Amino acid sequence: THHHATPSIPNRAQPARRPGNILEEARARLHVSAVPESLPCREQEFQDIYSFVESKVLDGTGGCMYVSGVPGTGKTATVQEVMRCLQHAAEQDEIPPFVFIQINGMKMTDPHQAYAQILQKLTGQKATADHAAALLEKRFSHPAPRKETTVLLVDELDLLWTRKQNVMYNLFDWPTRRHARLVVLAIANTMDLPERILINRVASRLGLTRMSFQPYSFKQLQQIVTSRLNKLKAFEDDALQIVSRKVAALSGDARRCLDICRRATEICERSAARLVGMSHVMQALDEMFSSPYVAAIRSASTQEQLFLRAVIAEFRRLGLEEATFQQVRSKHQALCRVEGLQPVGVSEGLAACRRLGACRLLLLEPSCLGVLQRVRLNVSQDDVLFALKAD
Amino acid sequence: MKVFRHQIILPVAKDERQEGEDERVHDAHDGQDVGPAHRAGSQRVFVCLLAAHPLHLVTVPAVGVDHAAQNQAGTWNRSSIISGVAQTGMAGLLEHPGYDGEKLRRVSEQLPCREVQAGMLLSLMGEPQQYCYPSLFIYGHRASGKSHVVNVLMKELELPHVTVSCVECVSVALLFEQVLLSFFGCDAASLLPRSPSISDFVRIYKQQTSEFPSKQTRYIVMEQAELLRDANVNLLPALLRLQELVEDNVSVILLSEIVWDKFRPNTGCFEPLLLHFPDYSKAELLHILSAHRHPSYSAGFYSSYVNILLGVFYAVCRDLRELRHLAALNFSKFCEPVAAGKVKETETHKLWKNIEPHLKKAMQTVYLREVSSLQWEQMDEHETGALRGLSAHTHVELPYYSKFLLIAAYLASYNPARTDKRFFVKHHGKIKKTNFLKKNEKTSNHLLGPKPFPLDRLLAIFYSVVDSRVAPTASIFSQISSLVTLQLLTLVSHDDQLDSPKYKCSVSLDFISAISRTVNFDIVKYLYDFL
Repeated sequence: THHHATPSIPNRAQPARRPGNILEEARARLHVSAVPESLPCREQEFQDIYSFVESKVLDGTGGCMYVSGVPGTGKTATVQEVMRCLQHAAEQDEIPPFVFIQINGMKMTDPHQAYAQILQKLTGQKATADHAAALLEKRFSHPAPRKETTVLLVDELDLLWTRKQNVMYNLFDWPTRRHARLVVLAIANTMDLPERILINRVASRLGLTRMSFQPYSFKQLQQIVTSRLNKLKAFEDDALQIVSRKVAALSGDARRCLDICRRATEICERSAARLVGMSHVMQALDEMFSSPYVAAIRSASTQEQLFLRAVIAEFRRLGLEEATFQQVRSKHQALCRVEGLQPVGVSEGLAACRRLGACRLLLLEPSCLGVLQRVRLNVSQDDVLFALKAD
Repeated sequence: MKVFRHQIILPVAKDERQEGEDERVHDAHDGQDVGPAHRAGSQRVFVCLLAAHPLHLVTVPAVGVDHAAQNQAGTWNRSSIISGVAQTGMAGLLEHPGYDGEKLRRVSEQLPCREVQAGMLLSLMGEPQQYCYPSLFIYGHRASGKSHVVNVLMKELELPHVTVSCVECVSVALLFEQVLLSFFGCDAASLLPRSPSISDFVRIYKQQTSEFPSKQTRYIVMEQAELLRDANVNLLPALLRLQELVEDNVSVILLSEIVWDKFRPNTGCFEPLLLHFPDYSKAELLHILSAHRHPSYSAGFYSSYVNILLGVFYAVCRDLRELRHLAALNFSKFCEPVAAGKVKETETHKLWKNIEPHLKKAMQTVYLREVSSLQWEQMDEHETGALRGLSAHTHVELPYYSKFLLIAAYLASYNPARTDKRFFVKHHGKIKKTNFLKKNEKTSNHLLGPKPFPLDRLLAIFYSVVDSRVAPTASIFSQISSLVTLQLLTLVSHDDQLDSPKYKCSVSLDFISAISRTVNFDIVKYLYDFL
């Protein structure tokens, strides 16, 4: 009766605001969702994928391609741009028409749903997973007149893993059928996924057409940001350079780079400077990369800080990285006396300990063990000492 | 200085806070270590702490330091006066704006020796239309009046409430159903889906409150709240901030015998207000027990009886329910000489001489439930204690070889394997006595409990213990496994049933000596511990 909970995005009452000044304009362009027309620094990969799919469509055959690379290297964006170009070409009658569908492993609650989703996108037909598998099997193994090539993009391939791997097996087996005319583009993060988790008969069907996206170098990152800004003068050159160098040194993730730039524009806006300078960028980098643990320890209460010191003192005495609450408590009381504070009772000590555990500074056992629960640090001892020494 | 951030513990009387005692009780590690850090702590209110409550709605009326002082004076007076008449000035202690004075008087009549806790609770609850603190945690030993105080307050003041026993609620569905049923009627409870989640409950609750808003605070009282820890991990944190979730004036009261420290979930939660119910003192027990006197005897007579009863039992038992049960059982014996006309009511010493051995006997029999209370009452005709208790019925009839198997198992469990040669081989070589008896092993085996042994050793000892030749037939092996099903032996390692299973003997020394006497076997001679 009351089960009408359909999730939806709330409607926007007013039209989206136009960017008012240069910084807002820059922020709009640097947003991750604002995918540009052409992706810089991925021309070679674009060309490879384009020619692979184009040749399959032209020949009317099928095949598989496996695309890998760490997050934020432009895999999905590149493949989707390839497909846009090919669809445009098909409209211009340069290549035969084809059907493009994409599924995402992350969007499914169960790997077998992949069948149902593919079938629905191909024919609009709704079916259970088993029935959909049977229908697809039939569709891809029998010849049909005027059959178009189907290009299937499978994002987050590793989430389609099942114990018997039958979903992956089917996805890679269908293109090898004679009449299938199916091209599968699979995207995942790890390069050695086929060798690591796929059984041999699946890995062999996936084939050897692999492409790996390297992380961006700092020059490429700088180029991406510059091309996005497109002659908009919002950043100092040095500021852009330090962002790209920092990100390239850590991960080479373009999304991370864009996020930091956007955050820097916000900081700049608050400080009422006209151009995003070095100091703004440094502050944004600090916010993004610095560990929150140190800040958490610094703002902890006196007894919590004393407890952390007691934990470290007890670790030093034992020579181990683990102690029971009882052992730490004796040190805690001694520290209280040294500091001239009223020694705390068991309950107060446990309360301080559990609060540190709740914010994951400590790793604790369940509280029903009482004073016998073992305490471990979740941060390095040096971090704790550094945070405690500062004040 | 920020010492603690968001836990409000109702504070502790300073003299109770000695460290030695503190540590002693927490070393007990059982489920019931009610920390003395909070013992008697509820008598004073940190007025400033409560006034700083974020809702600004908890009022703190006059139940403060003054009342605590008054009551402590009252306690001292009470302990010196034996009869139960001392309690006349205590009624009327409960005062709170927003409640009817007549009702409050009836409440305080029903709560002898719990005025302080009731007043405290009342001041935390505030006036009916005010917001109560989202969750209260009440803890104290068994039979310290937790449920009684809460129930009397709820019933007499006619507050909308539901009392849920967590033992009964084997699934959360039952819990949610009971709450909805008593707040909104059965229509609301029927809206719950088959296996409801917390969000279902919150959704229906919100929908119902918008239809039937209440001007008063609703209370959910959870008894035996320690069982909530074994339920879904999200249930306890959700209940603790239910007020916030359902956006209604609702408060959850948790009752438990276990301290709050053993409840905290790993991911943290909203900290409830802690309220401790201390144990009844001897004088308070005397006062409460004397209130239910026999109508045909005077109050002084009954309270002298209770005084004698407490003199015997107070050392071992402070549980009010248990004491009340014992008082009811033994009273007829106490007034026997008076009814027979041998002794007058005032001759306390003679009465004491008459009842004291009877009560001592009761401690060993009826208090341990060796003898049921019905048998105890019928025992007047024959001699008390002539009846055999439950533990005297441990004699078990076993087949001949099973007895020897059990004896062999006992020997294998309590003797070290290296001494087997000395006990069971006829012509063992010479063994020096000094080497044989290791100092630290002496007398320790029976204290440490049985040790596991393999099947081969059991059979080897069995063959040397039995005089005749026994074929290792199927029946011998099936007798071993039936000893396991009788729980006289325990199978230790479950990894392999067929290949070298290991057993432990789980019978006591008394049991095995009774068994070995029936087959004329002197087991003490073969036990390493009694060498």
